[in-house]
Amino acid sequence: MRTKISVMFVLVLAVMVIVVHPVPAHFGAVIPSDDIVTMEDSKTINLQVKFIHPLEMHYMQMVKPKQFGVVHGSKKIDLLDNLQEARGKGPGQNQEFTFWAIDYKIRRPGDYTFYTEPTPYWEPAEDVFIVHYTKVCVNALGLEKGWDEPIGLETEIIPMTRPYGLWTGNLFTGQVLLKGKPIPFAEVEVEYLNESPGNKKVVVPPADPYVTQVVKADVNGVFSYAMPKAGWWGFSALSEAEWTLKHAGQEKGVEIGAVFWVLTRDINPK
Amino acid sequence: MVNLMKIMNYMLVAVFILLLGSGSALAHKVNLFAYADGGKIYTESYFPDGKPVTGGKVLVYDSRETLLLEGTTDKEGLFSFDIPKVDDLNIVIDASMGHRNSFKLEKAEVEAGK
Repeated sequence: MRTKISVMFVLVLAVMVIVVHPVPAHFGAVIPSDDIVTMEDSKTINLQVKFIHPLEMHYMQMVKPKQFGVVHGSKKIDLLDNLQEARGKGPGQNQEFTFWAIDYKIRRPGDYTFYTEPTPYWEPAEDVFIVHYTKVCVNALGLEKGWDEPIGLETEIIPMTRPYGLWTGNLFTGQVLLKGKPIPFAEVEVEYLNESPGNKKVVVPPADPYVTQVVKADVNGVFSYAMPKAGWWGFSALSEAEWTLKHAGQEKGVEIGAVFWVLTRDINPK
Repeated sequence: MVNLMKIMNYMLVAVFILLLGSGSALAHKVNLFAYADGGKIYTESYFPDGKPVTGGKVLVYDSRETLLLEGTTDKEGLFSFDIPKVDDLNIVIDASMGHRNSFKLEKAEVEAGK
């Protein structure tokens, strides 16, 4: 009797641990080599397109995206064919994963919003496909125009804070749209990119909830988060698509994410 | 009492002028962008929000800092001229109230736009 109870207890505990242990947050990522191109800078920037766990520095396999391009002066430029296949891995990973990279030459002043729609990623652990529509904005040559315009993705974050020239401690505010309409009370996941260039001290989370910060939007789909450390911060608002995709002959749900990346610089550099 | 009101009014005006002055100095950084095409160099001068710099002075220097030519931006902030020299050019926008900025147009780009 005694052993039966303890076996049961252990089983229940095991189930609890499995259920409670959070699945690390996946993030689509488009990370440029700089967020502000000045008159003195090189006009060619490099961008890396990845599917990662940003804080834990895990890469996931990323097949060629469905869409990749840039919006400048309200015009969309398709850059999908210019993406180059690359490989990389996190410090704890013993296998390399595919990601994508591109060199892009800035030719004119203004804001450049780079975007990608990845190919649906099958996640067996969650029994869903994942599609993260991801954006990042690069400002060029002193003309601050275009960053607040939607580009018409199925779901996207519209920055309400100018998304470049940000200090540590700044509040980043954005609005989550699904098919052009705000999502009331959208849940937004926030993560720090531990691989950020210049990050001298890798962030080690003291407990799981520190890995991914969670904020909820208000009734108008507007959320805010204050960024405590210099580097790249990813914001990801997740919804369930109205459409499904087939996996092994079965219709499966699709998690669609609106992801936006911003860079902060330390206002008190040591 | 009347005197005090008068002083306060003056102070308000002074504060207002101060605010106006500092506001424009901070928010009105000027920029110039230039490119070469078809034998000419085109310049565009603008404020960060996209508003054109009208009537701004444009000064064009070569790599030895010799002034090659100068001109004035039009209503759209534009000023263009024939390529004066295939060289690294430093193009300066000098707007009112001492707002200045410059753009380096590299020799290779001037060459490509001949």
